[in-house]
Amino acid sequence: MAAGRKLAVALVVVAGATGYMAYLGASASWQYYLTVDECMANSSSVREARIRVGGRVAAGSLCIADDRRQAAFSLVGTGGDLSVICSGPLPDNLAENREVVVEGRLEPSGLLRGEKVLTRCSSKYNSRIPAASSQTAARAVAEKAR
Amino acid sequence: MTTLGQLCLLAAFVGSGYATFACLAGWHRADRAVQRSGWAAAVVAVLAVTAATAILGQALVLKDFRFAYVAQYSSRFLPWHYALSAFWVGQAGSLLLWAWLLAVLAMGYRFWPSRQPSPLREPAFGVLMAYLCFLVIQMVFAADPMEPSLSVPKDGAGLGPLLQHPAMLIHPPVVFLGYACWAVPLALALTALFTGRLDAAWPQQVRRWALLAWSVLAVGILLGADWAYEELGWGGYWGWDPVENGSLLPWLTGTALIHASLAWQHRQVLKKTALLLAISTFGLCNFAAFVTRSGLFASMHAFSHSPIGWMFLALMVGLAAGGVGLVVFRRADLRCQKPITSIWTREAVVVVATAALLLLAALVLLGTLLPPLSEIFFGRKITVGTALYSNVLIPIGLLLLAATAVAPLLHWGEPTTVFRRKMLLLAVGGGGIAAAIAFAAGVRHPVGLAVAGLAALAVLALAGALLLDARRRRPEKPWLGLLPALAGSRRRYGGYVIHLGFVCLAVGVTGSSLGTRQHEAVMHEGETVEWAGYSIRYAGLTQRELPEKSVFAAQLAVSRAGAAAFTLLPAQHLHRPQNEWSTEVAIHSTWTRDFYAILHSGKGRERVSLTFIENPLMRWLWLSGWIAAAGVVVALWPAGRRAARQSAAVAPPHFVRLQRRRAVAACLTAAVKKEAPMG
Repeated sequence: MAAGRKLAVALVVVAGATGYMAYLGASASWQYYLTVDECMANSSSVREARIRVGGRVAAGSLCIADDRRQAAFSLVGTGGDLSVICSGPLPDNLAENREVVVEGRLEPSGLLRGEKVLTRCSSKYNSRIPAASSQTAARAVAEKAR
Repeated sequence: MTTLGQLCLLAAFVGSGYATFACLAGWHRADRAVQRSGWAAAVVAVLAVTAATAILGQALVLKDFRFAYVAQYSSRFLPWHYALSAFWVGQAGSLLLWAWLLAVLAMGYRFWPSRQPSPLREPAFGVLMAYLCFLVIQMVFAADPMEPSLSVPKDGAGLGPLLQHPAMLIHPPVVFLGYACWAVPLALALTALFTGRLDAAWPQQVRRWALLAWSVLAVGILLGADWAYEELGWGGYWGWDPVENGSLLPWLTGTALIHASLAWQHRQVLKKTALLLAISTFGLCNFAAFVTRSGLFASMHAFSHSPIGWMFLALMVGLAAGGVGLVVFRRADLRCQKPITSIWTREAVVVVATAALLLLAALVLLGTLLPPLSEIFFGRKITVGTALYSNVLIPIGLLLLAATAVAPLLHWGEPTTVFRRKMLLLAVGGGGIAAAIAFAAGVRHPVGLAVAGLAALAVLALAGALLLDARRRRPEKPWLGLLPALAGSRRRYGGYVIHLGFVCLAVGVTGSSLGTRQHEAVMHEGETVEWAGYSIRYAGLTQRELPEKSVFAAQLAVSRAGAAAFTLLPAQHLHRPQNEWSTEVAIHSTWTRDFYAILHSGKGRERVSLTFIENPLMRWLWLSGWIAAAGVVVALWPAGRRAARQSAAVAPPHFVRLQRRRAVAACLTAAVKKEAPMG
C-alpha cells in the first residue's frame, strides 16, 4: 500500500475513534440551556432532564448557608420567579441582582435543584455597587464571624 | 483630557485608514512618494494610539473620574497597579490595549532592520494598518474609552475582588499581544496569495512570527490557568468555558501552522494547509473576541451584549471566505511537489499531527458553538459539558505525544535508517520500562501508563537523536560533538526543547486530571483530620484588618509521613468597597503533588468549613510553560555573523553558483579597472 494511502487510512481511523469518543462525551453531558420563562413554560418536557437556566437573582431572595455549601434564591422571570436550591461550592460573587447560570434538574414541584452556579465578573457589568461605609463593613464581618 | 483622548482616536482612525490605502496603492504602483506618505500616516496613527493609551493609563492611575471608563472600573482605594490593570478589564479599554499592541508590533515589523529584505513587507504592513483601522473604528463609533462621565462621581465602582490578583496585571495583556502577533502571519499569507510569491521564503518568514505569537499566546493561556487555579477556589485550572476555548482555538491551529510551514519549507507539502492555517488562526483570534463580546455565550469572562462582537465575526467570516477563494485561485502554484514516500518520514508525522490538531480544534469549536447553532436549527439552546472535551483529548493527546516522541529520529523526505530504527526501538523499550515503573508506583489508569511510557520515549528519542548528531560530527569521540551539534542546529534543538515542554504539559495534565482527590471537612479548633496520608490540624482562625479589606485565615498544620510538615493559611477576604467576599486558597506545591486548601466560611472562631484537594504533578504543568518559552528563545535567537557565514557555506547549490558568478564578475571588473590606465 502506498504511503499516502496508509496515512489516509490511519487518519480515518483516528477521526472515527475521536468522533465516537466525542459522541459518548456529548451524549453523557448535553443539557438544555433555557431562560427562566422558557424553563417555566416547558416545565413538563424538561422535568428531570439536566438543564442550565440563566437569569437574574431576585432582590431579597438570596439565602446562603453558613458553610457556603448551599444557597436558596429565586431567578426573575417575566411571568413569575423560579425557585432554586443550589448545593456545592458557591462562587464568591454570588449576590442579589446578579446574572447567574444554574446547572441542575427541575423537580416535579417546580423547584430547580442546582449543582453548579456560574456568575460573571462583577466589574464587567455596568451596574454600580454603592461603596459600603466602614461601619457597614464591620457589621458584615461581625455577622459572618457569628 | 477626554476631548484630547477622543481627538487622538480620531487621528488614529484617519491615519491608519490613509496608511492602509497609501501603503497598498504605493506598493502596487511602485510609487515611492505615495508609499512614503503612507509611512508618515502610519507613524501618526501609531503615535495617536500611543497617546490615547497614555491618556487613559494616566487617568486610571490618578483616579480621574471625569472619564466614565475610570469611574466604572476603578475606585479611590484601589492600589495604583490594580487601577492600571482596570485598563483591560472593560471592553473599550481592552480594545485600546489591543490596538496599541498591534500598532507597536506593526512598526516593529516594518522598520526592524532585516538581513534579507522581503518583497512582502510593504503590502503586509498595509494589511496590518487595515486591521489597526478596524480596531480603532470600533472605539470611535461603538466603544469609546474616552467617554466623559455625565456627572463626575466622588468614587468609582471599583474592580471586582476576583480581578485583584497579580495575574490580572499580566495575563490579559499577554493574550492580547498573542492575538496581535497572529496578524503578521495573516498579512504575509494574504499578500503572498495576492502577489503569487509563494516560494520557499514564505514559510521561513511566517514561522518566525508564528512561533513568537504561539509562545506569547501559550504563556498568556498558562497565566490564565494559573490565575483560575489560585483565585477561583475550585481546585481546577481549565473549565472548557467558551472564552477559554476561544483562546485555545488559535493556539491549536497556530501549532498546526508552525508544523505545516516546516513541512512546506523542507518537502514542499502542506502549502495550502499552511496558508489557510495562517488565515484561520488570525480569524479564530477574532472569534475569541466575538465570544467575549457578543453576549451569545454563557461565560464568567464574557462582556455584556454589544454589537462589537458581530463586527469581529463579520471580519472572521470575510477572512475565511476570502482566504479559501484566494487559495483556490492559486491552486496551481500550491500543488504538492514531493509526495510522501514513506510513513516513516518526518513529513508523514507532521501530516498526522496537523490533522490531529485540526480535528481537536474542530471539535472544540463545535462544542463552543453548539448553543447558538442548536437554537438556530432545533429552536432550543443545547450545551455540552466537559465530558465531551475530556473524551476527545485522550486519543488526540496520545497521538500528538506519540508523534512528538518519534519525530526527532525521523528524516525529512527519506525513510529512516536501520540504525535510527534500532535507536527508536531502544527508546520504545525505555518507554515500556517507564510505564512499568509507573505501574509499580501505583498508577493503574491505562491513559496514565501510556503517557508515562510516551513521555519517557520522547525524552529518550530526543537524547538518541542528539547523540547521533554528535556522532556524525565527531565519529571518534561523540561526546565532544554534543556542543557543536547543539550550536550547529540551534533552531532545530530549540524546537525539540519546545517538544519537551509539551511532554511536561501532557504529564501535568494527565496527573492532575486522573489523580485528583478531594475531601470536605467541618473542623473545630484544635481538631485533627487524617486523610489520604495527611494529618491536618486546625489551630484556629486569625483576623487581620487592612485598609480596604478584612482577612480571616484558618491556620492549618499539615504533615505527611516521610515529608516535612508545613503550615497553610486558606482565607476569606471581605472587600469593603464592594462589600464582597473572596476566597483565597492556600497551596503547598511539590514535584509530586499539590496540597490545596479552601476555607469556605467560619461559624464563629471555633468551627470552620474546609475543602482539601490533592492534585498530582501540577508543577510539571507550570514548568511546561517555562521550558517551551526557553525553547522559543533558543529557536528565535538571531544567528551571529559566524553562524550566518556558516549557513552561507551550506547554502543551496543555486545560491553558491550565484555567489561564484558574482565573485568572478567582481574579479573581472577589478582586472578591467586595473588595466584601464595602462591602456
